[in-house]
Amino acid sequence: MVAVTSDPINVDLILRDLGTARTGGIDIFIGTVRDTNEGKSVGSIEYTAYVPMAEEQMRRIESEIRVRWPVENVTIVHRIGLLRVGEISVVTAAGAPHRAEAFEACRYAIERVKADVPIWKKEFAPLVG
Amino acid sequence: MRNVTALFFGPVRELVGAGSMTLAVDPPFTGDAAFEALAARFPALRPWRGSLRLAVNREYVPFERVLDAGDEISFLPPVSGG
Repeated sequence: MVAVTSDPINVDLILRDLGTARTGGIDIFIGTVRDTNEGKSVGSIEYTAYVPMAEEQMRRIESEIRVRWPVENVTIVHRIGLLRVGEISVVTAAGAPHRAEAFEACRYAIERVKADVPIWKKEFAPLVG
Repeated sequence: MRNVTALFFGPVRELVGAGSMTLAVDPPFTGDAAFEALAARFPALRPWRGSLRLAVNREYVPFERVLDAGDEISFLPPVSGG
């Protein structure tokens, strides 16, 4: 399952969808909004996307993963809109028969998202006062 | 001349001040020619050229790609999702 969404990301729902009887392990990466970047305080981040292309790129990444590893399920979800510090911006996850392929597939998914999926962030300083 | 629809995102959208526009591309109708048409109107884009990627109909392609009339194109700034 891949998606670009403006709704908060629900990790419980993602995990529920990931497991099957053949899944021996699920590896999940959760990216969150950090309060600093390059030495500057960050209060919120606005993410924007070229949504149709982003979802096509995500589907491509999922296909690449399925060719390379024997995964049962792959999830790539990125949130867009204004997110505050601590909120979840991205989740990649893979369920596989064994942990090695789950870890590798999950890592591959997030690295490819950061390299090629057309999503952009704009950081805003915290409101003072 | 071929008309294409150009979409703008991230810092490029802020620079152009619009989400999309129709671009009239001159021969040889390549991505480079489309960038030239855009940069003629927005010279501040020129320094970005080296860091932009071209998407045509939602696929990354080289700037040498020849465009068809009606293509959806975008000059994508470096992505920063995650």
